[in-house]
Amino acid sequence: MKNYPFWKSFTVVSLVLLGIIFAIPSIIYDEDSENWFLKNKINLGLDLQGGSYLLLEVQLDVLYKEELDNFVDSVRLISRDQAVKIEKIDIQENEVVVFFGNIEKIKDIKDSFFQMYRGVTLQINNNKLSIKLNDEYRKIIQDSAIKQSLEIVRKRIDESGTKEPLIQRSGKKRILLQLPGVKNPERIKDLLGKTAKLTFHIVDNENTSALQNNLAPFGKIIVPDMYDENTKYLLDKRAVVGGENLVDAKGSFDQTEGHAVSFRFDTEGAQKFGKVTTNNIGKNLAVVLDGVVITAPRISSAITGGSGIITGDFNAQEASDLAVLLRAGALPAPLEIVEERSVGAGLGADSIAAGQIAAIIGMVLVCIFMILIYGTFGALANVSLIVNLFIIISLLGTIGATLTLPGIAGIVLTIGMAVDANVLIFERIKEESLKQTKVFQIVKNGFDRAMSTILDANITTLIAAVLLFAFGSGPIRGFSITLSLGVIASMFTALMLTNFLVYMYLSFANKKELKL
Amino acid sequence: MFGLNKIIPVEPNINFLGLRRNFLIFSILAIFISIGLLSIKGLNLGIDFKGGTLIEVSTKNTSIGELREILSSSYNDVSLQEFGNENIILIRLQNKSNQESIETVNSVKNLIQDKVVEFRRSEFVGPTISSELLFRGFQAVSFALIAILIYIWLRFEWQFGFGAVVALTHDVLFTLGLLSILNVEFSLATIAAILTIAGYSINDTVVIFDRVRENLRKYKKLELVDLFNLSVNNTLSRTIMTSLTTLLALVSLFIFGGEVIRPFALTMIIGVIIGTYSSVFIAVPTLLIFKFRPQDEDD
Repeated sequence: MKNYPFWKSFTVVSLVLLGIIFAIPSIIYDEDSENWFLKNKINLGLDLQGGSYLLLEVQLDVLYKEELDNFVDSVRLISRDQAVKIEKIDIQENEVVVFFGNIEKIKDIKDSFFQMYRGVTLQINNNKLSIKLNDEYRKIIQDSAIKQSLEIVRKRIDESGTKEPLIQRSGKKRILLQLPGVKNPERIKDLLGKTAKLTFHIVDNENTSALQNNLAPFGKIIVPDMYDENTKYLLDKRAVVGGENLVDAKGSFDQTEGHAVSFRFDTEGAQKFGKVTTNNIGKNLAVVLDGVVITAPRISSAITGGSGIITGDFNAQEASDLAVLLRAGALPAPLEIVEERSVGAGLGADSIAAGQIAAIIGMVLVCIFMILIYGTFGALANVSLIVNLFIIISLLGTIGATLTLPGIAGIVLTIGMAVDANVLIFERIKEESLKQTKVFQIVKNGFDRAMSTILDANITTLIAAVLLFAFGSGPIRGFSITLSLGVIASMFTALMLTNFLVYMYLSFANKKELKL
Repeated sequence: MFGLNKIIPVEPNINFLGLRRNFLIFSILAIFISIGLLSIKGLNLGIDFKGGTLIEVSTKNTSIGELREILSSSYNDVSLQEFGNENIILIRLQNKSNQESIETVNSVKNLIQDKVVEFRRSEFVGPTISSELLFRGFQAVSFALIAILIYIWLRFEWQFGFGAVVALTHDVLFTLGLLSILNVEFSLATIAAILTIAGYSINDTVVIFDRVRENLRKYKKLELVDLFNLSVNNTLSRTIMTSLTTLLALVSLFIFGGEVIRPFALTMIIGVIIGTYSSVFIAVPTLLIFKFRPQDEDD
């Protein structure tokens, strides 16, 4: 004991105390505590506290296709201005090829087009102009679509009243959602499943042959009815005004119309809406949502107040959900759910209980075994093992890591593996005790000789754990975190705490000889 | 204190290397059978890697048979399984597209609504995700193996690295083979278990190799076979102790840790046993291929 340096005992004791103190918030686990200290507790993963995990993919192909359609429209307009005849337009997966009637003005068309869409790749070959969506252009579309989608998704989730949602970009074209406490994600999925692109179009009632042939002339589109696929409308392709001009929408109830959504436009929207309704009295105005006509009432008088209602065959929930969607705005492209994992609170609680029992029983078994094999030294190692567990818990709490079910498995596994370092040390001490009789020298040699083996052995496990973190997803990461923390903590507890305890024991018990 | 530590003598002298031919034959057979099983029967892939829908429900006043009857009238690819006890039922469905499966979950829920106390969990993994997860799992295992090897190669001579690879490949294949026979569900958690086994097995091997290296310096005249035997014996009680404590914890996890974690615990138990075996009987004998000392080359 005389030789045990004060700084070493001080470090060991203070680290152990810190480990125990910072484990307290996670052990008490007061969910709603605002106390600065008690807040440093473990976060429970969705698989333990219950909740939903959703992975959404932005359907970028739809956007690329839309952009190609825009190209076609723009080229048509430009050529009309330049009085050049277009013979044929070929839309391929990634490019639009336009065949012109003559080649004189083709360069001018190319230049005007480039003014509108900087960044696209344009190529002239005889009477052909090819317009290509190159990678950079696609990337611009992609990035802005994801950014917009994230924002809209966030608004919609907020409107749905979910507590503490996590919404973030994942990879190139995906959005990851974690919704703690959401037991039934169906409503959320409904909210996210709609693009909610709202536009108002004037209906063309005169051109009846277009509808009969199901062939829309340039500048028009054919859109089916929401409730009856066979009813179709011929509309002006250009929207009078769109959902982006809405400032408010809410579900309302009208004695004659039933459930409806009332909305209000911003100044610009109100002006446009007022102008169009003034000029088109007697015509019908179609309200189009995600490619279907909800309703197409006749304009009986000019609507200049900038507000109105949308009626349809809604119930109360549908009307209020539509209002939520309209308030949050339209998604740039549809979202597809590619992965979903929902856990009820019951299963989560069961998993925690089972994990605790497994950890406690594993711990007791290992402790009994260590005492049976190593006697007093085993008991000392058990103290290290218990402190080790406290340190893992306090580290998880302070770094704000998330504990998952595989994470609990990692802790239980660590209980078994953490004694390894102690075992290596004790086995070395056993060997050394055959070579000499000086008690403290035996212990010192034992620790020194075991050191490099402990490092080698634990670093290999750490490598596996770190790579698991890098490539793993969700719950599996929780496993690699607890395993890594466990391995690191076990090196500390064995090399420092067990060391300290063994020295203390030997000097207080005043051992003259050592038998292990 | 209790004298139990005398069960394993301090200086055991068991001729492990003498048995190496028998164990080599055993392991080679096991590996061939494993490869055969993996290519013919394959693994019982869970929805993480196969894609599909999984719903866990707790039920009342019903039986698995009744639920199966209700569901199989609407779906022909539905499979049901009791999960832990007879009131908890796991429903699996294979579906092709993302959109389809979202509707599936809803309609399954509607069909069995009145028989169910609680929908405990529902999982859906789309086809693109499942193939990505499989690829990333494969990537993780490969990178981990390479990184571990580089570490061993830096810390030891390359011959040890070779021994470690052989043992590690053996462990992974053997474990996968047993998973195939036992029809254990192969999921993301299984990949984590395999990686942990790799770490554990190497850990075990490294401890013995450490001793081999030390003894190579210490006993310059000893025959290699005897020296390897000595090293295995030196570290034998540690090898056994650590495996046993790890197994104690894992068995506790297997029995008490709940149904969801059971395949993980089982995979780890299998892996720890194989990893311990291979460190002694595969990794060390592999070193005999190499001549570690100049004088050996004269033989």
